[in-house]
Amino acid sequence: MFKLNLKIAWRNLWKNKGYTFINILGLSIGMASCILIFIFIRYQLSFDEGFKNEDRIYRVISGWTTPDNFFESAGTPRPLPAAMRNDFKQQFDKVAAIQAGGGIIKVKDESGKERIKTSESVHYAEPDFFEILSFKWLEGNPRQSLSQPNTVVLSDEMADKLFGDWHKAVGKSINFQNKVDLKVTGIIEKSPDNSSFPLKVIISYKTYLNQARPESTNWGTVSSTSECYVLLKEGASIEDASKSLPQFITKYYQRDNVSKESHRFQQLRDIHYNADLGNFANKVMPKKELYGLAIIGAFLLLTACINFINLATAQAVSRGKEVGVRKVMGSLRRQLIVQFLTETLTITVVSLLVGCVLTEVALPGMQSLFKDHISFSIIEHPIIFVFMVVLVLLVSFLAGFYPAMVMSGYSPALAIKNKITANTAGLSLRKILVVVQFAITIILIIGTLVVLRQMSYMREKPLGFIPTAVALVDVPYDSMAITRYHTLQDQINKIPGVLSTSYCSAAPSSDFNNESNFRYNGTVRSTFQANTKTGDENYFKTFGLEIIAGKGLSKSDTLKDIVVNETMLKKLNVVNYNDAIGKTIRINDKTGNIIGVVKDFNNMSLHEPISPIVINSNKESYNTIAVKLDSKSILPAMRAIEKTWNTVLPEYVYGSTFMDDKISEYYQTEKIMGALFKVFAGVIIFISFIGLFGLISFVATQRTREVAIRKVLGASTLELVKMLNGSFLLMVFLANLVAWPLAYLFVAKWLATFTYRIDLNIWPFVFAMIISMVITLITVSIRSYKAAVANTIDALKYE
Amino acid sequence: MIQLNNIEKYYANKGIKNYVLRLVTTTIKQGEFVSIMGPSGAGKSTLLNIIGMLEEPTYGSYEFLGEDVTSLNERKRIELYRNHIGFVFQAYHLIDEMTVYENIEAPLLYKKVGSSERASRIADLLDRFNIVAKKDLFPNQLSGGQQQLVGIARALAAQPSIILADEPTGNLQSAQAEEIMTLFKKLNQEDGITIIQVTHSEKNAQYGNRILHIADGVVKEDVAVG
Ligand SMILES: Nc1ncnc2c1ncn2[C@@H]1O[C@H](COP(=O)(O)OP(=O)(O)OP(=O)(O)O)[C@@H](O)[C@H]1O
Ligand SMILES: [Mg+2]
Repeated sequence: MFKLNLKIAWRNLWKNKGYTFINILGLSIGMASCILIFIFIRYQLSFDEGFKNEDRIYRVISGWTTPDNFFESAGTPRPLPAAMRNDFKQQFDKVAAIQAGGGIIKVKDESGKERIKTSESVHYAEPDFFEILSFKWLEGNPRQSLSQPNTVVLSDEMADKLFGDWHKAVGKSINFQNKVDLKVTGIIEKSPDNSSFPLKVIISYKTYLNQARPESTNWGTVSSTSECYVLLKEGASIEDASKSLPQFITKYYQRDNVSKESHRFQQLRDIHYNADLGNFANKVMPKKELYGLAIIGAFLLLTACINFINLATAQAVSRGKEVGVRKVMGSLRRQLIVQFLTETLTITVVSLLVGCVLTEVALPGMQSLFKDHISFSIIEHPIIFVFMVVLVLLVSFLAGFYPAMVMSGYSPALAIKNKITANTAGLSLRKILVVVQFAITIILIIGTLVVLRQMSYMREKPLGFIPTAVALVDVPYDSMAITRYHTLQDQINKIPGVLSTSYCSAAPSSDFNNESNFRYNGTVRSTFQANTKTGDENYFKTFGLEIIAGKGLSKSDTLKDIVVNETMLKKLNVVNYNDAIGKTIRINDKTGNIIGVVKDFNNMSLHEPISPIVINSNKESYNTIAVKLDSKSILPAMRAIEKTWNTVLPEYVYGSTFMDDKISEYYQTEKIMGALFKVFAGVIIFISFIGLFGLISFVATQRTREVAIRKVLGASTLELVKMLNGSFLLMVFLANLVAWPLAYLFVAKWLATFTYRIDLNIWPFVFAMIISMVITLITVSIRSYKAAVANTIDALKYE
Repeated sequence: MIQLNNIEKYYANKGIKNYVLRLVTTTIKQGEFVSIMGPSGAGKSTLLNIIGMLEEPTYGSYEFLGEDVTSLNERKRIELYRNHIGFVFQAYHLIDEMTVYENIEAPLLYKKVGSSERASRIADLLDRFNIVAKKDLFPNQLSGGQQQLVGIARALAAQPSIILADEPTGNLQSAQAEEIMTLFKKLNQEDGITIIQVTHSEKNAQYGNRILHIADGVVKEDVAVG
């Protein structure tokens, strides 16, 4: 029976080639999109999986509550891990510190000649860190390899890179930062791509402590590069551990009235998904976005299924006779349902195969969009196969069940009398489905338009400084390098195409931000913190910042003069900016005079409001030399800068970025969103309109006789086209009305995540309406015109 | 075999009952060959559909093989279709996507007849109706008369005890019609299959042994044919 059903299914599909093609095209594109979305989500959800005791691993998070703000950091004060180890013995098996950093690694060959010089990110870790997170050790073990100062553990990949073969690395040594020699004592397996812990060079934490940094005992400074991990005791609950935190905080922190410290424990499995806190891998994927993608996938599938349902119910009439005959031959309704579902299943399976091909084709595009290696291998990830089976069953059911119910429900008497007409319930349902389908399409069109407009707004919004043609060149900041700053700047200034240069700690807009408490004009501590930036006297000129009161910084190596921004003065309730000139600011235990006010500029991404900012000089804190270039000679100038840099600072490794690249990096997520919206909106539009085309084809064929008769009665082609088009345009118009409020809710919510955003006006909505109506008109007219000009006699002779 | 008692059928339209059948009472015995005749719109097809349980009467009772079938559930009705009733239609109603062979096979599949038995029965029917050469053709590759032969072969495949035929020759030319009628008569006399047909043609009615004349939903005459 099944075999026969399958055979009949094939013949039926073949007979209605046109509709079959439309169905397969729509379903395969829909399914390919779903598979892509699924493998992407699967990959994202696989992050940080598979560590031993993963349910008991937590990261310690620090939080501050200020009078007008609350913020959190993944970092902890440096003395915290040791204190927590001591005070939480009851609750935690292990507590470990890990510190991220970076530096220059040099490897010499036997003869003592420098063989490799490379700048790498490194991590300083306590041995316990590896007892919490179970990395695979190829050589050595955490206890022995990392308990002494000046030891280092490498990933096999890094060891291959430095020594040619990791088997030969243990026992050899590397030079770090031109200062210490580190002995290689262990090798771990390289972290996979889907890990928040891309550890390559792990230096023993004692090495870090040996460098005797003052902040290593300070509870008041937190850097997001110092993280702390804990392993909960078996059977203990994290809630109970959290209850001891207030006591812990009062014990170690000095109370003050500006901000209140707090801590909490973040689950290992949350690290990849929390965009506010970030992680060592700098790969985050908020779950919200994954849900958004899943919803888009569901929409796509729904649209494709609606096509199928519409075409199937439209064709149902022509199969009424078959149903009737089968019923009087003794077929149960159930058997007919099975037969129709078999047909749907056949289409779906074919679509899946086509969809798999499309997936393969689209995969490289997606990988480059997300900059991740995402695998579409059923053998590696059998879950993908399971998903595809579920997808096929779901689609067959979703698309096939309703038509099967309708068709199998025909009464044999009516069917045999040829009395089933299209004007039964099927029609109104089809109308509703078309409206739903187009509402989805229009929501996506509106979403796409708004996302693209916000993106171009962000590209074009004046930021208060000029980010174009500014190169940010790293400079080392140890005392030896500082002595050569002057020479370096002098020589770079001489390069043709260089307009000006400035040493600074951070560009005007940066994701590296320092916030400090301060006193204005000798009063009590302020109720808010100031964002501090340091730069030399050319900072304003190089970045195109505008001084609106007083003057800019003059040449100085330490804090003496201070420039503040407008927001700072507004927050301090200073109305006339000139009143502030000459007042003192005490910050970071030093005092300076305000000599100028800089016009507000966006110091973070446009998601964030402008901070109150303090700018001063401090030679010790620079790590970048910003170079403003003539935009016509960027390439040769950059080559010359690198050459000069390497001659002045031969012991170090050169690195540079462009200011505008940095800024566009802020909007990576939005860029991906924009690209995805564009692609998926295109796909949905395509699916919807081929569905519409199928439907109008059907209506046209069905009404051939009517059209012919009307023509004989004297109707013009235009009148006929209008007659056939009318209801479709009305449906699409209705879809617009349904889509508008929903789309408004979505885009308004999305835009609300930006502090600086476009005003939501009526245009994207009107535009979406115009697009949808025009394409409908074109699609429908092409087909109905063909019907209207078809040969009259043929149609009337028929039957 | 068939006992109809006071069968009534009407369609209510805006509160007005339009009677199609009025107080039809009749008995049809095993082995009869009955022709139903009457003017267009008289209710012939409706009566045949009620006999074939495709429609339900609004009033009255109907016994088939001694069992009250006035309102039967789907499963029981389909049991009857599978084992006792074969339909032949004016418009043939073969399934277009199936070959001649498959069309004849379909009811046997529903009846769950074993494959060797199936093959021999179909071979037998093809042979008997002289359509062996056509078995792999699709309905639209056959003439009307050939299609109706296949339709009858399909009706006979499940070895029913009764065949219901609504104007089986309505779309055929007289020569082909004669062939079909001769076949019906043979089936009736040699195999003892009960046949009820609707026809407009007096000549076709003569092949049977009883004629029911219907007008305005009432049985006007019930005559035996010599
Ligand atoms: N669904 C319906 N609703 C209302 N009236 C109906 C319906 N179906 C049939 N009728 C009416 O019932 C009457 C009998 O129809 P029926 O098909 O039985 O006639 P008939 O005798 O077979 O005619 P013909 O020789 O033309 O086939 C007709 O007057 C028809 O209009
Ligand atoms: Mg009739």
